[in-house]
Amino acid sequence: MADEDRRKFLKVATCAIGGGVGLVVAGPALTLLADPAGRVTVTTPTAPLDLGLAEQFQAGAPPRRVDIVAPIVRDAWVAARNVVLGAAWLRRTAPDTVVALSAVCPHLGCAVGWDAGAGNFLCPCHDSRFSVAGEKLTGPSERGMDELPLQIVDGRLQLTWVRYKAGLTVREPA
Amino acid sequence: MKATLRSFLRERGLGLEGRPATILGGASLAYVFGAVLMFLVVVEAVSGIALAAFYAPSSTDAWASVAYLQDQASLGWLVRGLHYHGASAIVIISGFHLVQTALYGAYKKPRELVWWLGILLMMLTLAWAVTGFVLRWDQAGYWANKVEVGIAAATPLLGATIKKVALGGNDYGNLTLTRFYTLHVMILPVVVGGVIAGHVALARKLGTTPLRERTEANAPRWPAQTLRNTIAIAVVFAILLAYVISAHGADLAAPADPSQAYDARPLWYFRWLFELRELAGPAEKLVALATPAIVIGALVALPLVDHGPSREPTRRLPYLGGLAGLLALIGGLTIASLASDAGNDELAKRDAKAEERAVLARKLARENGVPATGAADVFLTSPMAKGRALFAARCKSCHEAGSKDRKGPIIAPGHGNRAWIAGMIKNPDADAYWGRTKLSKTEAAMRPFEQMKSPDVDDIIELIYAESGASDVDPAKRDRGVSVFENACSDCHSREDGMPGSSAPSLAGLASRAYYLSFISNPKSALHMGRDKSQMPRFDKELTLDERDALAEYLVWLRAATPADLAALDPY
Repeated sequence: MADEDRRKFLKVATCAIGGGVGLVVAGPALTLLADPAGRVTVTTPTAPLDLGLAEQFQAGAPPRRVDIVAPIVRDAWVAARNVVLGAAWLRRTAPDTVVALSAVCPHLGCAVGWDAGAGNFLCPCHDSRFSVAGEKLTGPSERGMDELPLQIVDGRLQLTWVRYKAGLTVREPA
Repeated sequence: MKATLRSFLRERGLGLEGRPATILGGASLAYVFGAVLMFLVVVEAVSGIALAAFYAPSSTDAWASVAYLQDQASLGWLVRGLHYHGASAIVIISGFHLVQTALYGAYKKPRELVWWLGILLMMLTLAWAVTGFVLRWDQAGYWANKVEVGIAAATPLLGATIKKVALGGNDYGNLTLTRFYTLHVMILPVVVGGVIAGHVALARKLGTTPLRERTEANAPRWPAQTLRNTIAIAVVFAILLAYVISAHGADLAAPADPSQAYDARPLWYFRWLFELRELAGPAEKLVALATPAIVIGALVALPLVDHGPSREPTRRLPYLGGLAGLLALIGGLTIASLASDAGNDELAKRDAKAEERAVLARKLARENGVPATGAADVFLTSPMAKGRALFAARCKSCHEAGSKDRKGPIIAPGHGNRAWIAGMIKNPDADAYWGRTKLSKTEAAMRPFEQMKSPDVDDIIELIYAESGASDVDPAKRDRGVSVFENACSDCHSREDGMPGSSAPSLAGLASRAYYLSFISNPKSALHMGRDKSQMPRFDKELTLDERDALAEYLVWLRAATPADLAALDPY
């Protein structure tokens, strides 16, 4: 009986020590694997980006696609220069106003193109259509195209790049 | 409940039945090493998987991703340290395992295959370590790998092919890393795993080998032997963990840079070969290739030579003595190599310098990120790094205040600002200005304008200062300066773009980036000093456009800088 108890103790001790060591091995590895989930790993500029002279956009002309290029993007360990973040469709709507619509489809994030024949925007992934002003026309998109903050300072266009959450009826920054 | 679960599993073929393993002669601490090695391989696997989730095997990103792991990701340093020093632990425990097996005569019939698979595992483990060391792509891993591949390339007949296959082409690059990475995380784990499975299965089947058999002491493995194994694992892991914490992970040198010499040293467990090569002199490559072959050959031959039935150590003294001699030689050579490095002051200085570069590179990587052009360019993220380095290399001896051989005006913070221009106008021949040039005290030299009074002198300073394109110009003052310039300066100097003055340098764009670029490119241009008035050489043939522009950018930065600003910059 004493031998039985001893064997039982040995078994419990083995499992306890082994389990403890296992936890200390697995803990740091799991902490490391989880690290990026709690971190901003890709940093894009929050300051307005210069898109050139406002006068290049004439009243009445169809929307024109402009690449949004960040001067610097921090991506984990890399600081890369002149990184294309996405695109926007720009159009002059009034003598002193230029409007920018994000080319990111509000449905599932595909790149929205301009259908010159139909005179409206078309997303090639799921055929959502949007009017020239960005309002939702047909297709599965939950909302119209997202307008991006755009200002004209000293005759130059200053655009603030924002990504919005896809798939919602309301517009929320991602 | 427990019984139900057991029978549920048993009915589905998952029962833990079978003959319980028996330890011949009873449980013993002598048998723990295999289990400790298995545990350490699991530590390598777990830590390796976590590291692989961050590591980027490309020549531009590898170092940066390792630096990110080491210095930024939570507990990355700990996981990396366990992985790196865990490999050292495997080498050490393998040594104990080998000695125990040899001492107990466990390599004898019928266990020769277990012994040979063990030798193979040791070789594979060392290859595993070599393929891992290069992945960090820092100076230490890069240069050590160059030496290792260089030795392999000396293999008769196959050398050139081995090198090309290992590097993935003709030189070090992206394909070198992707290859070593594939070897390290895919091929070797599978191969080592297979050999371990064979080694362990055979060893279990054949049972343990007690020094002296006592049938009455035979005992089941579980729990007596398992507890001993677990305690040994806990002790080894505690030591490993304490070491990793005290060393804060593993070291990381500056990014690999083929242009920066480095005192390459192999991983410590290859030190004895390194020392042997040094001793071998001209025969170094032969020795480096032949020695491992001889050592492995001797270990493989051991069961064949010592084939008598007796396992009694006292009757096998020649063989055990031979093994002890080999281990003593390896230990002695290792100590000799470390001692000779420790006694080398010049090496210590170079190592300290390399360490400074490593610390700076990691600080810059943490603060600024690494440029997409590659980790070696991380030093360029320090402000004006390129310009400062070029200035130190090419300009300092003639232009720095402290230089004995100074031949030109002093270039220091504030160069070209209002105070500098004021000093120049007041006394062009002063020591800090043209005093040490060939122009000094000649007919062609500019005369001091001491007679000029404020506010005229302030206006002309503003006019000249405005040429630099600085953003803090007072336009009213500058405009007033125009007429003063016409009266006092325009006889000799021009202010018109591209127009030389009649007998003195043009002041158009003075102290702007474009002006400096032009001046540095060719000071003897008619726009600047002219053919005979300056000793400064032209640099358009010696420095690239990028380099001259980096200098120009630096000089512009200096104009608005103070000595404290300059001192606050990271070294370049």
